[in-house]
Amino acid sequence: MHLNVAAMKVLMLGWEFPPIFSGGLGIATYGMVKALRHHTDIRLIIPSYSGSLNIPDVDIIGLNKLSESELTTDQFKYEAMTTAVHRLPLTISPYRSINDEIIKNKLDQHDLSSDDVRTIETIHDIFSEKDMYGGDILKKIELYTHLAERIASDKDYDVIHAHDWVTFSAGVRIKKMSGKPLILHVHSLETDRAGEACRNGIYNLEKDAMVDADRIFAVSQFTKDQIIKHYAIDAEKISVVHNGIDPGEITRKPHQLRDKLVVFLGRITHQKGPEFLLETVEKVSRVYSRVKFVVAGTGDQFAYLLETSAYKKMGIKFIFAGFLSKARVDELLSMADVHFMPSVSEPFGITALEAVQHRVPSVLSMQSGAAEVLKAALKADFWDTDKYANYIYALLKYDALNNELSEHAKSELDHITWDHAAKKILDIYQQLIQSENN
Amino acid sequence: MPSICFYFQVHQPFRLKPYDCFKIGHDHEYEDEAKNRDILDRVSEKCYLTTNRLLLDLIEQYRGKFKIAYSISGTALEQMEKYRPDVLRSFQDLAKSSCVEFLSETYHHSLSYLYSKDEFIRQVGLHREKIQQLFRQTPTVFRNTELIYNNEIANFISDLGYKAIICEGLDHVLGYRSPNFLYHPPGNSRIISLLKNYKLSDDIAFRFSNKDWSEWPLTAPKFATWVHQAAGNGDTINLFMDYETFGEHQWPETGIFDFLAHLPAEILKHPDFDFKTPSEVIESFKVRGDYDVHPLSSWADLERDLSAWLGNSLQHDAMERIYKLEKRIKDTNEPWMIETWAKLLTSDHFYYMSTKYWNDGDVHKYFSHYNTPYDAYINFMNVVTDLEHVLEVNFEKTLRDDDRPEAKIIIDRSVLQPVQNLTSSLPHQVL
Repeated sequence: MHLNVAAMKVLMLGWEFPPIFSGGLGIATYGMVKALRHHTDIRLIIPSYSGSLNIPDVDIIGLNKLSESELTTDQFKYEAMTTAVHRLPLTISPYRSINDEIIKNKLDQHDLSSDDVRTIETIHDIFSEKDMYGGDILKKIELYTHLAERIASDKDYDVIHAHDWVTFSAGVRIKKMSGKPLILHVHSLETDRAGEACRNGIYNLEKDAMVDADRIFAVSQFTKDQIIKHYAIDAEKISVVHNGIDPGEITRKPHQLRDKLVVFLGRITHQKGPEFLLETVEKVSRVYSRVKFVVAGTGDQFAYLLETSAYKKMGIKFIFAGFLSKARVDELLSMADVHFMPSVSEPFGITALEAVQHRVPSVLSMQSGAAEVLKAALKADFWDTDKYANYIYALLKYDALNNELSEHAKSELDHITWDHAAKKILDIYQQLIQSENN
Repeated sequence: MPSICFYFQVHQPFRLKPYDCFKIGHDHEYEDEAKNRDILDRVSEKCYLTTNRLLLDLIEQYRGKFKIAYSISGTALEQMEKYRPDVLRSFQDLAKSSCVEFLSETYHHSLSYLYSKDEFIRQVGLHREKIQQLFRQTPTVFRNTELIYNNEIANFISDLGYKAIICEGLDHVLGYRSPNFLYHPPGNSRIISLLKNYKLSDDIAFRFSNKDWSEWPLTAPKFATWVHQAAGNGDTINLFMDYETFGEHQWPETGIFDFLAHLPAEILKHPDFDFKTPSEVIESFKVRGDYDVHPLSSWADLERDLSAWLGNSLQHDAMERIYKLEKRIKDTNEPWMIETWAKLLTSDHFYYMSTKYWNDGDVHKYFSHYNTPYDAYINFMNVVTDLEHVLEVNFEKTLRDDDRPEAKIIIDRSVLQPVQNLTSSLPHQVL
């Protein structure tokens, strides 16, 4: 089927990558690259690569470990450094965490236009920060764009595949420089993160890039609809590529607690619906007392959640676990009774699939991509806390429902794989390259 | 002289209202009265009244030559009494024609035979009383819910005194034999099995309006020629179907009423053919052999088994949970409790929980008012949970350690007034 695809070369632009990530983007990039590598040659440029997760046959370039040779190609040499860097009029950082104030901003010490930044050590330094979105993210993006363009100057690829707004500028620049087709992969939109009505700098960046792109991948029909509605992009240009999950057996480790556990995984931001979480906890507690809600994640609404739960005397219902590593999330899911995702606007929600993998049934917001792919889940509109509470109550109370849902959902995962997503992606790569050649 | 034997199924369940966890312990009214009334109104206008009128006209027109049979569930009759007495009267008019036979079934259209013989006998008794009271007939032919059938059921029904039982004509049981003859269960000559001719029945009930079907459009003359082919090779052609076929499943625009209106004339054009009711059929023909069915069968879906009601663990769980309450409920001796419980046994509640054809969103979804099978299960289980609370608090006074913080419930005694003056005593002998 993909006979002439074997030689296809993909330049992939990513931002998060395991084990360094804050959301689903890193997991998705990793899963996708792993499935695609069997069919294509991939060069992946990411800001920070720890090297602990090596993928055979994939050329992963972490800017934190960039070598001089990767920067200096015959065509480009040092010219790039002397070209003007356009400052983007960005006004909001979407992933601001409560720790922002105390993060030492290393970028501030460097001026991109100065010679200072040209030293490889400085570049390593800038991209070695733990918080992907911390510091001056805009300067980081500028530098990323700049360096990616230099790395890509050999034009040794057939298609450019850029993940989320942070890499979109680089994608557009490389397309203009190389003339190769550009795919933008939308895992999340500014309208999800900052609210439907937002029309800020990031929104404009996303919109302009989507106009320039040859094709857009949306992680869900939900996201595709949002792109059409809020960004006025032609539906024909957008293909839905649902995320997948690697198949795998995981052992349940039933807990010995008296209370049942409902888990919430994700950043505690408006987008994730913390106020609806709180309301639901209150309502469930009225009808089912032996339950605790474990909140794993952090974000700018953490203080709100903590303070309001205390004020409402609901503190005893919560366990705040903070940000957890993948291993700890797995551990938590292996003993959880219910997974709860009340997001206001969730492009995909890969945690729902992780829950399924651990045989934990999900109560999901209908405004999510996961709700599209998972039939065996209980779904309600993000604001419908009565319905959420009724569903959670039922899952806690009726074992047969819990079993039926988790078993049924597990069997659904057979069709929600990265291989499945990769097939779709490869087909579109091929279409783009062919129309390019014609 | 072969006969056409029509039997139509009429049934309406008492659908439950949206009942979330917050209602448990506070709200003991489970029925969705508005929805039940609306649906009965709709089906009455589209099907019952129109079809009843047409059939009564045909009966009068053919003066004794056109005959039919009905099985109407007790829950459907009760809803007609409550919301549409005019519809009930039109069935009573048909009953007076002496060309219409009424069959026996479980009052609550339940699967009680599988779970409790006591409850099964009680429901059959209630239904008999209802048929006697409303239609002045005593049924002699039995029809189990959804034609659920095997040898054991046939023998049990025979022990209750019935002369015949309705069932599906299964190809794998019949083999080369035709469903158009009378059969016995093996070793029991006291009861006759009346087999549905599913090919001809489904031509009307399912395929009639299907434009992809090679025989579309189906006309009365065409159908009559198919029926006439049985001449010399069959005694009775049993056409069994849901009554809603007429006007509800097959809309008037499909020509279903024209078809029905012209059918008697076309059938009777052949001098050897006539129409008979089930009890006439069994008096008129000889039994030709054994019909040997071991695993439970039904008339549902392609599988013709029980998987529509007992196909997943939710359905089993809900079914077991509700039947487990039987003794405790009956010990209360409270008509409201017994009736409320029995209404929860209606097969439809479990059908709504089916995940079988969920992916195709086909016939099962058409018959369900729930968005998902999970919603159906949750709603049902919440109601059962409340009924258990009512039992414990009002009748047993032995509150168990429960997860509800405010376990003590004050119940308004007025809700315990029987909504229906139904007997709650178990008839030892139905017949």
